[in-house]
Amino acid sequence: MARRIFVLLCLILLPSLATTARAELVVVAHPDSGIKEMTQDELINIYLGRFRRLASGMVAEPIDAPIDSPLRALFYQQLVGRSLSQVNAYWARLVFSGKTRPPESTVSPDEAMRLVAKRPAALTYLPREQVDGRVRIVFSFPH
Amino acid sequence: MRVGNLISIFLLLLSTAAFANEDGKENSTFSLRGFGTLGLARSSSDNAEFIRDLSQTAGIKGGKWSGRIDTIFGLQANWQVTPALEFVGQAVSRLHYDKSHNPELMLAFAKWEPIEEATLRFGRIGADFMMRADSRLVGYSFLPVRPSVDFFGPLFFSHLDGVDVVLGTPVGAGILRGKVFLGKTHEKAAGTPGVWDTSGSPIRGWMLDYTVGNWQLRANLAQIRYANEIKKFDIDTQLRTAGAIAAADSMIAKDKTARFLSFGVVFEDGPLQVQGMVNRIRQESKVFEDSHAAYVLAGYRIASWTPYAGISYWKSKAETYVAGSGNADLDAAYSIYMSGSRADQQTYTLGARWDVWTNAAFKLQYDAIRGKPTSKFPFATSNAQWNGRTDVLSMTMDFVF
Repeated sequence: MARRIFVLLCLILLPSLATTARAELVVVAHPDSGIKEMTQDELINIYLGRFRRLASGMVAEPIDAPIDSPLRALFYQQLVGRSLSQVNAYWARLVFSGKTRPPESTVSPDEAMRLVAKRPAALTYLPREQVDGRVRIVFSFPH
Repeated sequence: MRVGNLISIFLLLLSTAAFANEDGKENSTFSLRGFGTLGLARSSSDNAEFIRDLSQTAGIKGGKWSGRIDTIFGLQANWQVTPALEFVGQAVSRLHYDKSHNPELMLAFAKWEPIEEATLRFGRIGADFMMRADSRLVGYSFLPVRPSVDFFGPLFFSHLDGVDVVLGTPVGAGILRGKVFLGKTHEKAAGTPGVWDTSGSPIRGWMLDYTVGNWQLRANLAQIRYANEIKKFDIDTQLRTAGAIAAADSMIAKDKTARFLSFGVVFEDGPLQVQGMVNRIRQESKVFEDSHAAYVLAGYRIASWTPYAGISYWKSKAETYVAGSGNADLDAAYSIYMSGSRADQQTYTLGARWDVWTNAAFKLQYDAIRGKPTSKFPFATSNAQWNGRTDVLSMTMDFVF
């Protein structure tokens, strides 16, 4: 019985994992953010909490995909080459020494899109095919 | 601070945060997080008690497994009142100078961030004496079982009551940060003999940090002026009676200054992590010998495993102590007392970290400590048979939530 459940879960989950792994990731911002494009170094500074002032003068509000999601893992792998464990260890050091706070986590990519469409300083990352007219693409990872 | 006081602080934070949320303020958020380490370690030597740092007055020895030195549990509450104002409180249970694991208030501060480039913290803040010194208790955040004892061992300060100001700005491709801090310590340490209360000792310092790409470079200078005297049995009185005034004066720690200078470099590129640090500690009081230390640690992640290796040393400037009291026994007691802060050892480390989940890691580590018999300061106690060598085997389960 347990084996059947495992196989069933694999059949359900594997296609979505494979889709995420193949996806071309882009970073999106609010159309009124004043940002047309960003560099990978700027994104590293923002998502690792080093410095969050945008070129437009606003302070960026980075938004993360759901905790432990394949999308989040893929983003940090492409951004800094680190696993989610490494990223979590990094944030544990900063959070528990009271220095800075990590990006806001969302429950789904749709929620992340909704927040970026609502907040001028917000940023998030998505597979390119999920982007719609509410946001602007400011960075694309090499596919 | 008593447990009751800690609970009161947390309840106050919780209730206030709940009120704020019900009030509908979108920017007011409250979070409760935690970290911990379940640790077991054994040290092969019967003749010296291995400790994590000088805040511990009791350690491990004789090949017996013990969880006392590395087991830690912490709980932290963050209340983000507005985007610019945050309150942080953290309680930690760890091995104390009094051999208990009673919770203590580690952090309790208000953080004001009026602009992205400036942060001010006021209250009980982490003692940022050296690079990554203020996250030494969060095992999940670093690679080895515990921060290098040779390097961080002399630091028994975990927090200070005061203020720090951080200014940061982009410089070139990286971010330059400068920080100044000022306050007073409220901590106790392993003294010679017994417990040394350093409460009320003024602390001040600065740091410069430059982060660019995969590199982080940092310089730190911190200073403490000891507010209290160390217990000296009755050696002091006997020396003065015998006319050895200079020897008696050399034992004074009160109102003497210690300066900690350190440099650190961290390189992280995907699965590769390398870090190296050097420090120099200058003591105005002759009770403590000047010392210098360094370490290098490197690890490479393969899937969920990260094997690592490191090497470190801690060496003090050995001096000859002659009391000249005319009493051989008293002279000998003086010499033993004064050389109690001697360190002269190297540590070779091999280990592996296994990230079991994305918020928990199991670590297994072997440390070979190779020092001289006179190297007694890094240990809680040692006897006449101590030869400066011990092998420490450790395993920990670190987690955050």
